[in-house]
Amino acid sequence: MRIGVFVCHCGSNIEGTVDTAAVARAALGFPEVALATDAMYTCSEPGQDAIVQAIREKGLSGIVVASCSPRMHENTFRRAVERAGLNRYMFEMANIREHVSWIGKDREANTNKATELVRMAVEKLRRNTPLFSNKFDVTKRVLVIGGGVAGIQAALDCAEGGKEVVLVERESSIGGKMAKLDKTFPTVDCSSCILGPKMVDVAQHPNIKLLACTELKSVGGYVGNFQVELRKKATYVDWTKCTGCGQCMEKCPSKKSEDRFNERIGVTTAINIPFPQAIPKKAVIDPASCRHFLKGKCGVCAKVCPTGAIDYEMKEEVLTEQVGAIIAATGYDVFDISKIGEYGAGRYPDVITSLQYERLLSASGPTGGHIKRPSDGAEPKTIVFVQCVGSRDKSLGRPYCSGFCCMYTAKQAILTRDHIPDSQVFVFYMDIRAPGKLYDEFTRRAMEEYGARYIRGRVAMVYPQGSKYIVRGADTLLGTNVEIEADLVVLAAGAEAAAGAPALAEKLRISYDPYGFFVESHPKLRPVETNTAGVYLAGSCQGPKDIPSSVAQGSAAAAKVLALFSKDKLESDPQISRVDIKRCVGCGKCILTCPYGAIKKIDFRGEPKAEVVATVCQGCGICTSTCPQGAAQLAHFTDDQILAEVNALCRF
Amino acid sequence: MSVLTGKELRIVGFLCNWCSYGGADTAGVGRFVQPTDLRIIRVPCSGRIDPLFIVKALLNGADGVLVSGCHPRDCHYSQGNFYARRRLEVLKHFLPVLGIDPARFEYTWVSASEAQRWQKVVSSFTERIHKLGPASRLENTALPDGLEKRFAAIASGELPSDGKAATRLEELKDRIHEFLPDLDIVIGWQRGFDALHNTPLFMRSAEDLEKLVWGPLNIHNTATYLPSLRGKKVGVVVKGCDSRSVVELLQEKLVDRENIVVFGMPCSGIVDLSKIDRALRERGTGIGRVQAAECGEKGVTIKAGGQEYRFAMEEVAADKCFHCEYPNAVLADHLIGNASPSSSNGKISRQLAAFDAMSLQERMAYWRSQMDRCIRCHACRNACPLCVCKDHCIAQSRDPHWISQEDTITEKLMFQVVHAVHTAGRCTECGECERACPMDIPILAMKRQMNRAIRELFEYKAGTDPEAVPPLLAFQAEEKNIHEGVL
Repeated sequence: MRIGVFVCHCGSNIEGTVDTAAVARAALGFPEVALATDAMYTCSEPGQDAIVQAIREKGLSGIVVASCSPRMHENTFRRAVERAGLNRYMFEMANIREHVSWIGKDREANTNKATELVRMAVEKLRRNTPLFSNKFDVTKRVLVIGGGVAGIQAALDCAEGGKEVVLVERESSIGGKMAKLDKTFPTVDCSSCILGPKMVDVAQHPNIKLLACTELKSVGGYVGNFQVELRKKATYVDWTKCTGCGQCMEKCPSKKSEDRFNERIGVTTAINIPFPQAIPKKAVIDPASCRHFLKGKCGVCAKVCPTGAIDYEMKEEVLTEQVGAIIAATGYDVFDISKIGEYGAGRYPDVITSLQYERLLSASGPTGGHIKRPSDGAEPKTIVFVQCVGSRDKSLGRPYCSGFCCMYTAKQAILTRDHIPDSQVFVFYMDIRAPGKLYDEFTRRAMEEYGARYIRGRVAMVYPQGSKYIVRGADTLLGTNVEIEADLVVLAAGAEAAAGAPALAEKLRISYDPYGFFVESHPKLRPVETNTAGVYLAGSCQGPKDIPSSVAQGSAAAAKVLALFSKDKLESDPQISRVDIKRCVGCGKCILTCPYGAIKKIDFRGEPKAEVVATVCQGCGICTSTCPQGAAQLAHFTDDQILAEVNALCRF
Repeated sequence: MSVLTGKELRIVGFLCNWCSYGGADTAGVGRFVQPTDLRIIRVPCSGRIDPLFIVKALLNGADGVLVSGCHPRDCHYSQGNFYARRRLEVLKHFLPVLGIDPARFEYTWVSASEAQRWQKVVSSFTERIHKLGPASRLENTALPDGLEKRFAAIASGELPSDGKAATRLEELKDRIHEFLPDLDIVIGWQRGFDALHNTPLFMRSAEDLEKLVWGPLNIHNTATYLPSLRGKKVGVVVKGCDSRSVVELLQEKLVDRENIVVFGMPCSGIVDLSKIDRALRERGTGIGRVQAAECGEKGVTIKAGGQEYRFAMEEVAADKCFHCEYPNAVLADHLIGNASPSSSNGKISRQLAAFDAMSLQERMAYWRSQMDRCIRCHACRNACPLCVCKDHCIAQSRDPHWISQEDTITEKLMFQVVHAVHTAGRCTECGECERACPMDIPILAMKRQMNRAIRELFEYKAGTDPEAVPPLLAFQAEEKNIHEGVL
């Protein structure tokens, strides 16, 4: 091998504390190094050209660049060596900027360390081999999990892009949290008026297959070729016959079913269509409260249904779909406010969440849009809003800001005054976070135009007194205690990861943070990708988000999917594991430990052997460190390559 | 080129690409000043880090090794760091066996955003290594006087026994006779070239069966031959410890349960021929001069050079037999006679205790002196029932090139560590490695130490349950006995 070493000054970033010329001189003494030089900016166009030229003129067969982190420029230089006709893997980087020049000023020590890192890179490069990608077909269909606004946007954009979409929703209607909202900030336009048309578009789009009451069961395969199993729950209503006329709901004698859509304010019928704009507008029987299921007789809905859609014998079904990409848009859950005992939620009926309050405000809600106290139906005159309930609170394990509570609280303060002009609103807040377009103006309006009284401080406790509630808190700006006699207390419950999020993440083989939110590939530069190729994120499943951000991320995820599907063939990463069939004794330890199920047992001339499924392998190398005879070797990080690095450091 | 003398020590870092390497980058971008000693090797995942890389570094001149990966549950590959945590924790327990201060090795978790934490990790680990100073080098250690003697001949204690061994041979023969027609072969023991050396017997017929013997001279582990007889119907006579190897082979699917028939014999301990040889030498003769020998449960009577010598079983029993926990087969189709009572009393063996009493320096010196004798014949490996890599052992391979042909103590010791690490969670302490060693190197001690770590960390004993998943091929998101992250 003829190796060329390029030591970068990076302006003064490296040269300032590393003697790059000395590093290059020392590198000339390393085995198989034919050329070593220092350069001002190796990543610049002339810098890259110099590499290309050196490869061509000096007949170099491998390149080491000592500069910044490979996480920064490895791909840049790989493309450069490829331009010169070398295989892109005949290249190594020594990180002498982030790991050397930027973390200390001792020029002698830095130069010495940089030289050693170059030696390491040279020793590894000597054991590199050219690697080649495989090409494989792409199934140009996408699975969107979750039919909230982010999922709807992603599904519509993909469908508009001409790709088939399978949209699965756990509930009987899409719409998610946004469908429950009365109005949206900062425009105060009607939520269902802007979401409704999009939901209808989903239902009518020829490219979208909508599966409500359906959950993800399992995922197999890899980017471009996922096999997905979906569990379609029994609805006990044949949706091909149901017209959504609602006669069954009118006649259903069992009216004590939990009203999940209305956030459990009030009850509903056992056979139910959650809200008038529901998509699909189909009835579902809740067997937990249906008399037919509880007592074995009733059958009223079956009698009244004009199309004979009721089917009490319906069973859960498992469907299989082939897709090439998956967008997770599973949203969030509302923090359980009863966890904060001192606010009395759960014990006092008039201490409610903002989302429950939203249902009280909504014309399609249980009170027909009139604000009434859950306890006695009276119209509240004094309403206290408490912000940051289950947000920014380390003691509850919720140190993060839920982001949108300041804004919806301001909106609800405004709407309260609209509904009850003689009401008084108090808002306890920690800080007002309103960084969006027209957001701060909006909170100001709540205060200045609508007379909401904002009190900076936390509420210590809420307790009943007569028919009212005393809200005791602090006003930290005035430095006093405050006590307010309230008719209704609305807690701005924070967002938390959806209950099943970690389990879903494990099925999708993506990471989740300590709070259960899915982890994006890079917080800034790859915000909708995950570390599993072909799986993307949209909306609040990645972290709390308001509607504009969720929609933007839905579109962004769709753009990524469309870009992926613009290719007919995908290239696999060749940095994957391979099993040397001669060395393999078929003990199966690698099969046991592979997190991807990427190694299968094969029969080779009557002997059991392991074989890596190239398209499934993600290149972690667990098999390599597990295989005692070194038969499984991760390409580009083989035992010999890492041993060469260890020896380069320890044996000189 | 090397570290700056007097200023730096040799510290090797293994960092996963996604979290910790990124964290080190972020620290650089943020200009978080760090000591210059650390040299970072980038790997895709902490799960890629074979503990042997770390041993390789420490035996070859590193003063400290630092591993850092993604926080648990945050692994880019979802599970890599969970496997890494178990393997690295086992290594941490094992390093002192080699005389290496476990403080010279640390593993921790740093995410790509934790620049400040990375700075703290590097600074405190470097400071720790500087406090420890340069590591002792294996080649330079000298054995303190009398240490070897202190370690030799320390095994003693209870042996399993029920006093009825003699009557069982006939019972065993009857049983084998009954099943032999259905079997291709039955493995047992026969008298070898002299009265002391019994060797394995492969029985195919009733005449072969007559050669079968039973007693404390049946030293060989009969399970060792099972994988090579795969596909045949094989009967195997086992002692308690042999049966654990059978269980292990079943667990690793290297033998098929339906093809083997296990005849379990209650064992009352076997002799260690090296001990007999040493004892005879002390009396001016040697094992090569043995003319006749009589061996029973109580002891051995040997005629050598015209003289008769008598040794009590306690004097010549193999170390592994003292406090034996499994004198009976843990898995058998046919149990012969009544089970021997276990002599285990829950105490650690005196051999382990003596080893524990040594300082780190003494241990390194001890291995230096022991491994000095190693002739790299690999008999230990060839005798090991679990060394299933056969012709593909990494000790004799160029690719991967783990061990060179250099005749150094480091390379010799490295091989023993490879063996111990590869059998971690699998070794049943049958002692074949040590029995086969022509140089009498007490290599079983290393594996017993490893097993102790496995037992303490994972409450697991190899070779007791064919359905169990060995601890290093599994993980739990919350590890009961691992409390990492001291940095």
